[in-house]
Amino acid sequence: MKILSLQNVHKKYQDAKDFAVNDVSFDVEEGEILALVGESGSGKTTVLRLIAGLEHPDSGTISLSGHIIVSGKQSVPANERQVGMVFQDYALFPHLTILENVKFGLKKSAGNPTKIAEDTLNLVGLSEDYQKYPHQLSGGQQQRVALARAIAPNPKILLMDEPFSNLDAMLKDQVREEIRQIIKKTGITAIFVTHDTKDALSTADRVAILHKGYLQQIDIPKHLYESPVNPYVANFFGKRNEIIATPLEEGWHTTFGFIADTEAKKYKNKVKLMFRPEHGEVVKRDGQQLTGRIVKISYFGSHQMVKLADDEGKRVTIRTNPGRSFDGVERSFFYLWKYDIEEAF
Amino acid sequence: MLILLLIATPLFTIFFKLFDKPGDSWQHIVNNLLFGYFQNTILILIGVAIMTFLLGVSTAWLVSNYEFPGRKYFEWLLILPLGFPGYIMAYTYVGLLDYTGPIQVFLRNTFDIQVRGSLLDIMNLPGAIFILSITLFPYVFLISRSSFVQQSKTLQEASFLLGKNRMQTFFKVALPMARPAIVAGIALASMEVLNDYGTVKYFGVNTFTTGIFRAWFSLGDASTAIYLAAILMVFVFVILYMESAQRGNRQYASSKDVQKPLIRTIPTVGKKILYTSICTIIFLVSFFVPFLQLLHWVSMTYSKVINADFWLLVYRSFVLAAVSGAVVVALSVILLYTLRLSPFRWVKNITKVATLGYAIPGAVIAVGIMIPLLSLDKWIYTTFISAKAAGLFFSGTLLALIFAYIVRFMAVGYNPVEAGFQKIGMHVNEASRLLGARSTKTLWKIDLPLIKTSLISGILLVFVDVLKELPLTLILRPFNYQTLATKAFDMATNEMIAESANAALIIILTGIIPIIFLNKLIKKREP
Repeated sequence: MKILSLQNVHKKYQDAKDFAVNDVSFDVEEGEILALVGESGSGKTTVLRLIAGLEHPDSGTISLSGHIIVSGKQSVPANERQVGMVFQDYALFPHLTILENVKFGLKKSAGNPTKIAEDTLNLVGLSEDYQKYPHQLSGGQQQRVALARAIAPNPKILLMDEPFSNLDAMLKDQVREEIRQIIKKTGITAIFVTHDTKDALSTADRVAILHKGYLQQIDIPKHLYESPVNPYVANFFGKRNEIIATPLEEGWHTTFGFIADTEAKKYKNKVKLMFRPEHGEVVKRDGQQLTGRIVKISYFGSHQMVKLADDEGKRVTIRTNPGRSFDGVERSFFYLWKYDIEEAF
Repeated sequence: MLILLLIATPLFTIFFKLFDKPGDSWQHIVNNLLFGYFQNTILILIGVAIMTFLLGVSTAWLVSNYEFPGRKYFEWLLILPLGFPGYIMAYTYVGLLDYTGPIQVFLRNTFDIQVRGSLLDIMNLPGAIFILSITLFPYVFLISRSSFVQQSKTLQEASFLLGKNRMQTFFKVALPMARPAIVAGIALASMEVLNDYGTVKYFGVNTFTTGIFRAWFSLGDASTAIYLAAILMVFVFVILYMESAQRGNRQYASSKDVQKPLIRTIPTVGKKILYTSICTIIFLVSFFVPFLQLLHWVSMTYSKVINADFWLLVYRSFVLAAVSGAVVVALSVILLYTLRLSPFRWVKNITKVATLGYAIPGAVIAVGIMIPLLSLDKWIYTTFISAKAAGLFFSGTLLALIFAYIVRFMAVGYNPVEAGFQKIGMHVNEASRLLGARSTKTLWKIDLPLIKTSLISGILLVFVDVLKELPLTLILRPFNYQTLATKAFDMATNEMIAESANAALIIILTGIIPIIFLNKLIKKREP
């Protein structure tokens, strides 16, 4: 069931030349986790703030669980929308204790606020320290409190602004998984904004990518990564190599060598072969392969990146396992097991 | 060290003299007056605290959260009343509301309304509260405004999203977070209330300050004055203690630096009119109307009053204020520079003593300085000149007066200098010394030029405060010596209100310069 729907939403800030959000439309299903990704200035945070009611669009409609909350200039104020939000800086009230922070949004009519607040704190994994003040907690704990405060009033939708950006790398992987589990456990619908593709791909059910205010693509992570609708989306999710290829009867002729491919005869003009580093493999000489001069090897622990150059100096990067040794090797062979063909000329 | 000891003199005096027997009139005061002193002082303190809170916080909230016509101007217009010393405001208002004053004349001539005498009579306790509140609320306004502005915008947004509207957000988030700042502002205003002599004296309201004067001048009883001063100091310490105790365990600044610039809300037209009117009325009452009245008086009397004597008075007051300002800043530099180069921690704590004077009412400082000086004079005379003659050597000289100003206004000059030193940091100084310059040379060549603006603002702030100062000057000035402040006060109490406006206007105009300057300084720190 659709819980949130944006239709043709436009937003331009005062004094700005371009739209921050330009004709954006998408739906969010109930119980789903959606990630909004993009570079800084892509409009992703603005979309989040429009949904929250902290900004107002110039045109377009937004509806939340069947009710229209924004229609053109008309909009329901933020405090009546029942939207929960975890801010990037957490925005915990420094003068209130943890418990008071979580109780802040609870109405007396909704039962026993203290009980609900304590239950929510337990849910996010904070079972003591209720009487402490926010500055006495670590960054990770503060984030849990912020999450508890946002979900305690049982909002229709949970919004999170860069939820992982203030955590150090060690903590991040763990928190990502925990937050996903908490959200799934409560069955709440969530939207989070991030500039980190790893956060988006690993945590979200679906990912929406924005660029210069336009929605580029919204899809499940696997599709976005493997079938990007345009070069911007493709490059956003990781490095892509491109090799210029001339179609022949049995395959492609490239500056790195010959690739057998029956598809090639369907093309008349030169094309670009696009592939990610992990779609290639560095191999020993064995049948039909491509070859290049080793320019640079970067070691990352979990893998190595090998940069290879053709005779004209064009370069491609291939990912390989960390155990492989390239000592004393000047040239290496590789093959591609997957690539996209793009008619560029 | 010597500087610090000298500055602490008045406190020591009062402390040790407490062990002496009280004077003859003490019993009389205890029996007849003390209760009244207590009652009036406490009522005025509470009244001013409530009034400055309402005036200061409401205007600060409007100015920092809403966009309405004139908002930018009100940011500094509402600080201007600080330039009005309480006693000048007091007799200006008496003039305004007088039978022959513009308000009653207007009512009589236009509506034929005869106002009963008591209705517009402000020469009483509520009147004193009113006058002190409209001159002191800018302290609360200034300090809570900068607190509101520095509050993270996201906290307010978080509150909206948790279902609270603007009003609820103000009372549950913004106000409690600004509480330490607001209380600090009110504490500052309370110190000024305890210091005030002119207003309460003029209105005939007896407080501890007027009591000290009475004991000193009318009764000639120094030890009774000391006793009263000691009680007044108890008030000061109670207020200081309450101010620091209320902070408690909480932290009020947001722990993260990620802050969005505050976006002011644009209210509906009706509310815009309301907000602008509120600020306008407060400004008119607290500054503009009394200021016009002063101008009117000046235009009536300047030909009579302004002559060579008057200019001599201006000149002497300015020199006195400038010398005090320069000495305060010079001492601050010496203290702070020693502190910077000193490896010892305790030095840091000791220098705090130097800035205590600002909390001590002027009358207390005056008494605390006068008594040791009198005995010093006595000792000098009996030892070196003649055992029989008694005369004045230090007491009743300009030297004593300047010394008292330094004690009282040390903090005023010290703080900007300290801020200046902090801003340039330690590294330039260290670099200079590593390049072979001695520390004195480094001070002259590196530190002082870098903190030039801080030095100037320090001198300027002390200058203005000295110019306005009344109670201390009244007690310690040499016989028949007048400053602008004492002249204005004397004339006003002698039914020459219109004539006194000339001196008052100069004090106010000089006072406005650093206020605008100060405002710019605060604005710079805002995001």
